Amino acid sequence: MTVRESSLPGQLGQADPRAQGGGVAVPAAPPAARKGRGLGWSGRLEVAILVGPALLVFLAFVIYPVVMAAYYGFFSWQGFGAPTDFVGFRNYLTIIQDPTFLEALGHNATIVVLSLVLQGPIAILVALLLNRKLRGQSLIRVLIFVPYVISEVVVGTGWSLMLQGNGAVNGLLEKVGLGTLTQDWLANPDIAMWTLMAIITWKYIGFAVILFLAGLQGIPEELSEAAAIDGASYWQIQRRITLPLLGPTLRIWAFLSIIGSLQLFDLVYIIWGQYIASTAGTSTMATYLVANGRNSGNYGYGNAVAVVLFVISLVVALVYQRYVLNRDTAGAITGGKK
Amino acid sequence: MKSKRFLAGTAALAFTALALSGCSAGGSGSGSSDDGSVEMTLWHNSTTGPGTEFWDKVTADFAEANPGVTVTPQSIQNEDLDGKLQTALNSGDAPDVFLQRGGGKLAAMVAAGQIMDITDGISDTARTEISEGSFEANTLDDKVYAMPVAVLPGGIFYSKDLFAEAGVTETPKTVDELNDVVQKLKDADVSPIALGGKDAWPAAHWYYFFALRECSADTMATAAEERDFSDECWTRAGEDLQSFVDTEPYNADFLTTAAQQGAGSSAGLLANHQAAMELMGAWNPGVIASLTPDAKPLPDLGWFPFPEIEGGDGQPGSIMGGVDGYSCSVDAPKECVDFLNFLATSDVQKEYYAAFNAPPVNSVAQEAVTEPYLKDILTAYNAAPYVSQWLDTVYGLNVGNALNVGVVDLMAGKGDPEKLVSAVNDAAKKS
Repeated sequence: MTVRESSLPGQLGQADPRAQGGGVAVPAAPPAARKGRGLGWSGRLEVAILVGPALLVFLAFVIYPVVMAAYYGFFSWQGFGAPTDFVGFRNYLTIIQDPTFLEALGHNATIVVLSLVLQGPIAILVALLLNRKLRGQSLIRVLIFVPYVISEVVVGTGWSLMLQGNGAVNGLLEKVGLGTLTQDWLANPDIAMWTLMAIITWKYIGFAVILFLAGLQGIPEELSEAAAIDGASYWQIQRRITLPLLGPTLRIWAFLSIIGSLQLFDLVYIIWGQYIASTAGTSTMATYLVANGRNSGNYGYGNAVAVVLFVISLVVALVYQRYVLNRDTAGAITGGKK
Repeated sequence: MKSKRFLAGTAALAFTALALSGCSAGGSGSGSSDDGSVEMTLWHNSTTGPGTEFWDKVTADFAEANPGVTVTPQSIQNEDLDGKLQTALNSGDAPDVFLQRGGGKLAAMVAAGQIMDITDGISDTARTEISEGSFEANTLDDKVYAMPVAVLPGGIFYSKDLFAEAGVTETPKTVDELNDVVQKLKDADVSPIALGGKDAWPAAHWYYFFALRECSADTMATAAEERDFSDECWTRAGEDLQSFVDTEPYNADFLTTAAQQGAGSSAGLLANHQAAMELMGAWNPGVIASLTPDAKPLPDLGWFPFPEIEGGDGQPGSIMGGVDGYSCSVDAPKECVDFLNFLATSDVQKEYYAAFNAPPVNSVAQEAVTEPYLKDILTAYNAAPYVSQWLDTVYGLNVGNALNVGVVDLMAGKGDPEKLVSAVNDAAKKS
């Protein structure tokens, strides 16, 4: 961290007492003491210049819309002009009593759980495999990562064409003599959710594998070597050493997966369109929001749904951070310049 | 640490600069400028080759006849049009001229003060050559808000070849006869009816037509005004649909079949002889023509009105359909009305008919219609004792969408007639 004094000429010689910490964990100073030290005029300017634009963008495009959504959610509003018809919590009552919304919420919960259960083990196994020396390793890594790079719209359109009643998948099944297995993969409510999960797994497994591979690189080889000398088998090493040390990566991946599952929209919207996701049993809170908000011209109601979606995601994220990620983040926050 | 923050700050600055420059570049392209020239934008819903060519040609012809006035057409995919239009109207950045479906959707836009009143601007030619009834669909409180362009009543399009193949010699007059035709087609290994359930409204058309047969004109009018579906004819229509669906007349994966996009859509199935019938509005021949293997109109296309039922309150021969019109946004330049009058002239109307293979609204242009199916449509339309707009258009976006989705649920076996009616009533709470 020796570069820290060199980038801004104006900062040279300006001794900031808190810049000493570097990588060493120093307990945060009590607020009173912090206030007393203060920043010089040029220090404040630096903070303003550096933080200002990002803060402005954040306030304008994140905080302001959230606040406005909360405000609009209390109105019956068709989107023309300013909202005037205040209805209190009526929109929220309607949401939590709407069976279609509760179904969508259930679908989100299913997707959260199935994403973890399906993608986690597969991705770990693939990552372990790719972490060993084998021929064509980098090619396989690229191939596994390719679906993640393809745009959701392309993935959705491609799969929906292939999975149509007379599409490529059923055609292939018939050609290889498995005609009895042909299905209405997308239209049959009993299997549409599983079709969606298969597509999601195919699409996002590459991301999990890359994360896990990065995590595996960080595990010192000496540990497995030592264990091997002590007579541990390959699977014992993975079970007792690799997996526990991969824990932080797993937990971060699970966090990203959960948030992504709660907000899933594009794949469902592309494959099942504007109307029939709830009929096919694949609707999510986000598709419900678009169907009952924008597409129905109920902007007040739609904003209320957006707030509900936001609150649910926020609560899940906070609970997860508090109880699962706390071990990983505890040591990461240093007392240096925050 | 500082170097990192410096980078982040620079990145943020660069991003802001980009965002700001992006904003300033995206100004509005419409309105009059100082030198007297007028620019207008036009949103239409045709994506087929001849359709987009028609709008390109019409706007070019109009610009030639009116120096200094340009209209830029923009094609919006039909399923995206309503949502995009509402967003544009809400944000005060509406196109100057746009497709108007009428009914509750028009009423909402008028109530919000977004549509220009063109009553006094309509040319005498348009007044004489277009029937009074066609203006009515876009009239509220004696004020006209859109220029009608096409009459698009619904009915069943069918392939004469496939009917002959299955030994069907006459088009069905009643639902019972329709059931017989379905059975004959199935026996001949022909998929009877194509249905684009993914877009919801094509499925809902089946319910609308059963409702048109079951409910009296008064009941329909009451429902249109008060969103009141308590009359038991609405439930009866659902039961009629239910028992018709139980005979499995549709393509197996109708739920995920789109209506108009690609060979796998319901129009595409008809165009490629993969299904024998489709219930659709009169714009369908043009859509089918764009999806045939040689992109030419389907030679064996035929049309018959929706079959009658026994014991319904609706007058036999009643028909449902829309009148497609074009509206000017309230902020559009006054030349916008001139453009609408231009659209209504018989020459442009003939070009419209040729491009879309759909019945024009201008009576002089209607005489140019040669296709038997279009003539059948016009005959049935002119003879109808009662003409209703598409129900989802009548009820507006909110109740209309709920109705459409409710019908899809019913057809997919996820609901019953009572649930359909209650879902429609529940939608009112969300507005």
